[in-house]
Amino acid sequence: MILGYVTLTIFLAAMVLTLLRKINLPVQTVLVLVTLVCLAIGAIVKGFTEGAAAILTLPNEMMGGIILHPVTALLAGLFLAGALNASGGFEAFKVLIAKLQKSPLGLAGTFVVLINFPMITSLPCGRIMAAALLPLLFAFGSEGGMNLLTKSQLIVLIGAFARNAFGSCGPSPIGGVGQIGEGFLGSHFPTAADGILRAPQAFSLMIGTALTALFLKMISRRLYPDSCSLRDKREGEVDAIVVPQAPLAGYASLVIFVAALIVAIFQPFGKVPVQTVLVIAAIAIILIGRAGIEALMAGIILLPVSAMVAGFMAAGALAATNGFDALGQVLGLLAKVPVLGVAGMLAIFVQIQTMIPLSCSRILTAALVPVLFLFGPAAYGFLTWEQLAVVMAAYIINATTSCGPSPLGGGGMMGEGQMRVESGYIKGAYTFTVMAAMTPLAAVYMKFLNLVNFAAPGEALTANIGALGGFVVLIVAINLLAIRLMARLAAPGDKPYFTQVGGFLATGMFAGMVLALSTFGLHVIPALQGAFGGLLAALWIAFMVPKKLEPEPAPF
Amino acid sequence: MAREKRKYTPKREDGTQPIGLPGIRRLQFFTNLRDRALTKNLNRLAMLGIGASLALDVAKPVATGVPQTIFCYECRACYATQDKCPAAIAYQAELIVAARVGDHWRFIKNGGMKCLRCGGCVSFCVVNLDLPRIFSRGQQRVMEAMEQGRIPRRRIRRALEEGLFGREFIDRVVAWLDKQNGGRA
Repeated sequence: MILGYVTLTIFLAAMVLTLLRKINLPVQTVLVLVTLVCLAIGAIVKGFTEGAAAILTLPNEMMGGIILHPVTALLAGLFLAGALNASGGFEAFKVLIAKLQKSPLGLAGTFVVLINFPMITSLPCGRIMAAALLPLLFAFGSEGGMNLLTKSQLIVLIGAFARNAFGSCGPSPIGGVGQIGEGFLGSHFPTAADGILRAPQAFSLMIGTALTALFLKMISRRLYPDSCSLRDKREGEVDAIVVPQAPLAGYASLVIFVAALIVAIFQPFGKVPVQTVLVIAAIAIILIGRAGIEALMAGIILLPVSAMVAGFMAAGALAATNGFDALGQVLGLLAKVPVLGVAGMLAIFVQIQTMIPLSCSRILTAALVPVLFLFGPAAYGFLTWEQLAVVMAAYIINATTSCGPSPLGGGGMMGEGQMRVESGYIKGAYTFTVMAAMTPLAAVYMKFLNLVNFAAPGEALTANIGALGGFVVLIVAINLLAIRLMARLAAPGDKPYFTQVGGFLATGMFAGMVLALSTFGLHVIPALQGAFGGLLAALWIAFMVPKKLEPEPAPF
Repeated sequence: MAREKRKYTPKREDGTQPIGLPGIRRLQFFTNLRDRALTKNLNRLAMLGIGASLALDVAKPVATGVPQTIFCYECRACYATQDKCPAAIAYQAELIVAARVGDHWRFIKNGGMKCLRCGGCVSFCVVNLDLPRIFSRGQQRVMEAMEQGRIPRRRIRRALEEGLFGREFIDRVVAWLDKQNGGRA
């Protein structure tokens, strides 16, 4: 087990130093180096204890950490996005948006639908929809040509859309991250694979997206006033709204795209892997749009793919050298600390992926969901099955949204690129809303509504809906109050930064308490322990938000 | 006289050297090491390693007769099999991953060698994988690996003691362990 502690320390130290930019190398390089170092140490230890044959098994054990589905689904999705772009599908989408904004839905209603579009489609990786639609959103500004939005509105639109996209892999029924948790809960709830975690995630993501928009509008813009190079319409500039036009092939490809999503999600032709559907759709679009291979390949973004694989390799190396077993033991020991207890430990555990945001949430989720599962009746017995489902809901939404604020090639960086802001701009908004709103919201939704449906249908539904409504109003109200107070004092500099930290701490405590109340019921001690755990998690999360934004240093 | 600070310009590319690997010239690790040890070459090698691992992860299951495992979502919906599994296997997805990458110990540890290939878990799979076939191939490969000495003997003995081998494999495993011990039981 000492081996596990050593490799876990190496992994965590490397990740934290990279997040703090103390290691100035691309994340892929760091992760590959961590993999090699962990494997080398593992080979030495296992060679001495189990002989040469044990060394030879290490590479295969490491390879087991690579999850192929998200990688191939992402590649297929990006391929489809490239095809759609090349055939004029996005132009057709622009025309649709322009028509929709003249409908009773109006401009605001159209954007609300657009922002929530990634969650509506729920693809296995948010980058698929983000790669397709972010350039389109940029086009709504004055630099993009459509002149529909001001700079401030564009930041809010792109930021909220990216927030929604980089959480949409959670509720995805076609290989989403949430399905990992559903699979484990299936050990007790027979119908868990039908989507026991889907509704809590979608619900909290929807509210979290709105709160993110508010945070970006009211706080981020004041904290980092000079970091955005977007421009508003110049004075005297003629208001020439460009009416988009699209080729016929663009409309046809859009229809194919929508049809492919329907087939992938609802599976009317039986169980077909999402990759197959996406690639067939891409080929159909290529044929209709007569797109060139270069245009298609341009749709593929290599960074998320390579970062994801490198992360899986590191996680695989850690698993092969018992690193995650060591983490389980550490968390078990934390649960024995009186001020933390199980409730406090869980309040930290559910926030762990926001504390260490990696380029893809699956890197840690695939390893940590089994650890959480062991806290249940299967091993440690800290939680009952119902309590495990509540904590799982909170953990999964926190995990799936963690690629958003990741500065290591996370999805949110795509949004920052489109906003023309320095890396880190969205971090405060994304981490705050996940920590303070989305995590407790998922927990209360699971406790009061979903669990009733999956565990004991029809039982006390009305009373539970009342309790859920009360909690939701309370959580949203606390968040709004915190955002309002932080916004009053938000400005560049040290003092406003520490005010913001104070806001994080207060809401982190509240989130930890709500999680404890949802998990353990109305008991004072677990609630206080949960609040303390939430405070510790919030302390780390708050100080990871950059005080000021600087251009990325060159990696070499 | 104050020493003039010389600006150091790293020399990272040497076009005179032949190319060994994509983006990497053959001898450059041995020349200008100061410029190259922790810089572009490292990143290029890391990227090559990532690409190779991914390619291997796809090619290996194809070469070893379990190509279907590539399509596994690793969503663990198969865990809902629960008591419908006559061999009481709790974590079927672990077996699929183990069969895909050839992680024999993971396969044994999760009860893969007890599987009766009844197909009771198939209906839970969201992509309809032919699980009995995958598990059967996994079992064959474990036996081959054991007989070739690619699984530590200590682990085999431990698995046997913990009842992780099904009835159809026990005789072969015991015979192999006997042979390893020079005929002693």
